[in-house]
Amino acid sequence: MVYEQGEEVLPGAVHGHRLSTVVPSSVTGEVDYPLSDADLAFKLHYLRGVYYYPPGDVTRGITTKVIKDPMFPWLDDYFPVAGRVRRDAADVAAGEGGHPPRPYIKCNDCGVRIVEAKCDRDMAEWLRDEAPGRLSQLCYDKVLGPELFFSPLLYVQITNFKCGGLALGFSWAHLIGDVASAATCFNKWAQILSGKKPEPTVLTPENMPGHSPAGATAPRSVKQVGPIEDHWIVPAGRDMACYSFHVTEPTLKKLQQQAAVATGTFELVAALMWQTVAKIRGGVETVTVVKNDAAARSGRALANEMKVGYVEASGSSPAKADVAELAALLAKGVVDETAAVAAFPGDVLVYGGAHLTLVDMEQVDVYGLEIKGQRPVHVEYGMDGVGEEGAVLVQPDADGRGRTVTAVLPRDEIGSLRAALQDA
Amino acid sequence: MALCHLPLPRWSAQCRLRSMTATKGPLAPPTCADNSPPCPDVSLNPPILSRPQDHTLAYLPSEPLSLSLPRTHSLHSATRLGSTRLAARSSMASPGAQQLKQLKPLYQHVVNNFVAVLAAPVAVAAAITAARVGPDELLARLHALRAAHVFLAVFVPAAAATLYLMLRPRSVYLVDYACFRTKPNCRVPFSTFLEHAKLVTFVEGASIDERSVRFMTRLLERSGLGEETCLPPAHHYIPPYRNMEASRAEVELVIFSAIDDLLAKTGISPAAIDILVVNCSLFAPIPSFTDMIIHRYGMRRDVRNVHLSGMGCSAGLISVGLARNLLQVAPRGAHALVVSTETITPNYYVGKERAMLLPNCLFRMGGAALLLSTSRAKARFRLARVVRTLTGAQDSAYRCVFQEEDGEGHRGINLSKDLMTIAGDALKANITAIGPLVLPASEQLLFAMSFIARRVFGGGKFKPYLPDFRTAFEHFCIHAGGRAVIDELQRSLGLSDQDVEASRMALHRFGNTSSSSVWYELAYIEAKGRMRRGDRVWMIGFGSGFKCNSAAWECIAPPRNAEGPWEDSICRYPVDIPEVLKH
Repeated sequence: MVYEQGEEVLPGAVHGHRLSTVVPSSVTGEVDYPLSDADLAFKLHYLRGVYYYPPGDVTRGITTKVIKDPMFPWLDDYFPVAGRVRRDAADVAAGEGGHPPRPYIKCNDCGVRIVEAKCDRDMAEWLRDEAPGRLSQLCYDKVLGPELFFSPLLYVQITNFKCGGLALGFSWAHLIGDVASAATCFNKWAQILSGKKPEPTVLTPENMPGHSPAGATAPRSVKQVGPIEDHWIVPAGRDMACYSFHVTEPTLKKLQQQAAVATGTFELVAALMWQTVAKIRGGVETVTVVKNDAAARSGRALANEMKVGYVEASGSSPAKADVAELAALLAKGVVDETAAVAAFPGDVLVYGGAHLTLVDMEQVDVYGLEIKGQRPVHVEYGMDGVGEEGAVLVQPDADGRGRTVTAVLPRDEIGSLRAALQDA
Repeated sequence: MALCHLPLPRWSAQCRLRSMTATKGPLAPPTCADNSPPCPDVSLNPPILSRPQDHTLAYLPSEPLSLSLPRTHSLHSATRLGSTRLAARSSMASPGAQQLKQLKPLYQHVVNNFVAVLAAPVAVAAAITAARVGPDELLARLHALRAAHVFLAVFVPAAAATLYLMLRPRSVYLVDYACFRTKPNCRVPFSTFLEHAKLVTFVEGASIDERSVRFMTRLLERSGLGEETCLPPAHHYIPPYRNMEASRAEVELVIFSAIDDLLAKTGISPAAIDILVVNCSLFAPIPSFTDMIIHRYGMRRDVRNVHLSGMGCSAGLISVGLARNLLQVAPRGAHALVVSTETITPNYYVGKERAMLLPNCLFRMGGAALLLSTSRAKARFRLARVVRTLTGAQDSAYRCVFQEEDGEGHRGINLSKDLMTIAGDALKANITAIGPLVLPASEQLLFAMSFIARRVFGGGKFKPYLPDFRTAFEHFCIHAGGRAVIDELQRSLGLSDQDVEASRMALHRFGNTSSSSVWYELAYIEAKGRMRRGDRVWMIGFGSGFKCNSAAWECIAPPRNAEGPWEDSICRYPVDIPEVLKH
C-alpha cells in the first residue's frame, strides 16, 4: 500500500503491491546448503515465469490464504529456497585469490516473498495485447543484492485482474536450480494445495564444490563479466524486454515439411528464431544452446543440470541459410561445454552473454501447475539478467501442439522482430 | 518428585531434520515422529537439587533479599544469563551445620503439626486419667453438671461452626483452561523478523535505521526466544498492518480458538456462563472483546461482562481475582469465563528509540481461556490465594513501563533502565504479602526468629533468612517477561533450574505472550506429566504500574489427555538455550 502513495498509477498498470513473507512450517536448524560450480555459473540470471488462470468460479475461490497455506509445508521440503545467500568465511582459497569468498545458502528459514497486486484490465485483453515487457509487470523484478544477505531467492506475485482472472508470477534465482527444477518445485506446491501428497524431495547427494583450475579463459558459450561483488546483476547496456508469442501448429507443420529429415520441434523453432534475429541484426554466426536433458538428470530436486554448448554456422550467413539447415546444425553440431562452464572460476553470463542463446524447455512440465483442478490457460517463462545478445526460450503451449516462444531482446529490436514474424 | 538421573547428551536447539540423508554434523537428536508419549521427567542439567525438602543446599543469593521493610537496594543488573550459580555457604562444611541440616526435617514436622504435637500428649493424659478414674465415677460427674452448662457447651460451638461455614468465602475452582494453539503459518523465525525490520519503511520517512536493527539483532540473540514463536498474520506484511480490521482478526483468531478448545474440554455450553472477564492491555475496541465473545457464542442476556484494558502483563491474575470476587455474589455453582490475551497487531513500534524496540522483539501472539466456578464438580484446581501488590505510588515504579510517543511521534512502550530493580522491589512486596498466607509455620517461625535476631543483635551478624518457597509450592509459573526477568526471579527466590524450566521453555517456544504466559507454563508442566493431585502452583505476574500479582492454586485432578498448545512440541523440550543464539 505504501508503495502506491505518491506514485501515479497508470491506467492498466499493475498496482497495489503488498509484500509479505512465507516461511517453512517447522524449524530447519543449522543447515547449510552448498552451491555447486554449476549453480554459481548461473548466478547472474533470474527466471521469470507467469502462469495465467482464467476467470471463473474456481479462480474466484483462489484467495491469498488458499495460495499461502500450502506454502508452509512446501517450504519444509524445499527449505533451501527459503534460505539466504551467505559467504563462506572459511574460504581460504578466496583470500589468496583476492576474490570474495564462495557463496552458499544458509537455510535459516527466512522465507520467500509473496507479492499481492491488482490490475484493472481484463486478462483476455492483457493476453491479446502481447505487449513486450508484460512479464516484468507480473513478476516482481528484484535480484540478489545489493543487500545479498537479505535477498529472497524466490518471489511469488499474485495478480488479480478485473475480470477475476489470476496470474501467478514466479521470480526464481537461477542460482538455486534450473527451469526444470523450478517447474517441478512449483508443481509440488500445487500438489500440496490439492491435498495430494507429493513425492519426497531429494536434496542429496550434496553439492560438492569442485576444484576449478585458475586462469583459464572463458568457454566460447559464455561471456566473462565482473568481478561481481554483492549485486548479482550485470546491467545490460541496452534496455532488455521479454516478448512472448505463439508459434501455431500449422507453422510447425510447414517447418517440418521443409526439413528433409525428421527434426525436433525445438530445433526447428530455434532455427527460425536464429534466422529472424540474424536478419534483423546481421551476423549472429554463433549461438549458445542451453538444453534440458531429462534422462541425464541426477534426480536431485534442486540442481542446475542444463547442457550448455555452442553452435557455429559454418559457411553461409544464418540470415540467408535455410531454416532446415540451421535446424540440422542445432541438432547435430552442438559443441558441449557444460563441464567447462561449470569449472570456470570467474563470473560469467550464460544467457545472452557471448551470443544469442537458444533455450530448450520442451520437456519442462509447466502446464502441470493445476490449482484446484484448474489448468493454466497460458504460461510463459522469460528471464532477467540476460546479456545484450539476447535469449530465446522455446516452451510448450497450452494444448501441447504449438509452441510458446519468449524472446528476451533489446527493446528496440522487438518491434523489428514482431514485424518479421508477421511476415513469416 | 523424582528426577531421572539419565546421562543425556547436550545438544543445541532440537529440531526436526529434513530428508537430507547425508546429514551434517554429529549425532542427530531423536525426532518424535512416532508420536511417543511425552518424555519422562528428565533434566538436562546435572541433578543439583533433587528433593524439595533438601533446601539447606538451597542457593543463597549473594545479595540477600530482605523481606522486612521495603528498603531500596539495587539488585544486580540482570545481564547474568545461563544456568544457576550455586553459592554454598562457607559454613556449610562445619559439623554443627551438618547436624542442623539433619535436624531440620524433624523441626519442620514438629512446628508444622504443632497442634497435633501438643494435642497428642494431652489426649493421652486425659485418656489415662479417665481410665484411672473409672467409668462410673465419670458418669456421676457428668450428671452433676448443670443442664444450662451442658446446653451452652454444645450450642455455642455448634453456632460458631455454623456461622463460620456460612460466612466464609466460597471456594473458587478452576474447571479447566485452554491456551491458544499457535499455527505454523504464523511462525516467525529470527532471520525473517530481522529482515522485515530492515525492510520496513514508512511514508513519514522514519525508517528503522541500521543501529536499531543491530540493536534488535543483539536483543533477539540473547532474548531466550526460539525459532517457533508466532506473530499475527498482519505482521507478516511489509510494512505490517496495524489497523482495526487486522487487530480484530487477530483477536478473533486467538480468543475464539482458545474458547472453542475450552468449551470442548469442559463440555459446558456458552449459555451456562454467568460471568465473563477479558483482559487485553493494548487494544480496546468498541464494542469490547466481551461483546465480541457474547455475540459469537450467543451468551445469555444477563451475563456479567467486564473488559480490563491497560492493566499490563499481570492482568491475567487480576482477572482471576475479579472473577473470584464476582463469583462470591453470584448464585451457587455459577461459572465464570476468563480470557487473557494481548493483541500484537496494533502495537508494532516503527521508531528508533531503543527502549521502545524491546517489546517488538519479545511480544508474541498468545491467549488463554479459563473456566472458574464455585462448584467443585469436574474441577481441576482450587484457587487458594490471589495477592495483588501495587507499587505505583512511587514515581520510578509508575514510569517504569510507560506507553508514550517518541521524539518522532511514534507510539510505543518505553521500558526504563531500572526495570529489574523495580521488579525486584515489587516482588519483595508481593512475597511479604503472600508469605504469611502460604508458607508453613516452620518457615515463618524461622523467618521471624531471623528477623528478631537481626533486630536484637544487629544486622551484621546474621544474614536475613530467605524462606524456601519450595515448602509451600511444588510448581512455579513465573511470567515469561524475558530472560532477564526469569533469571532475576530465580536468583531472588532461590529456585532451581527445574523450578523455572517451565518459564524458560515457554519463553523459548511462545515468546512473551503477556498475561497468558503463566498458562502456557502451567500447560508445559502438565504436558510433562509433572502435575499430581495435591500439588500447589504459584503463578507470578509482573506488569506495568508497576504491579506484581500472585495466585496460588492447588491441583485436584491432573489433565485427562495430552491436548494443549505443547502437543506437537513437548517431545523436543526441554532444550538447552544458548547464551547467544546463532542465526
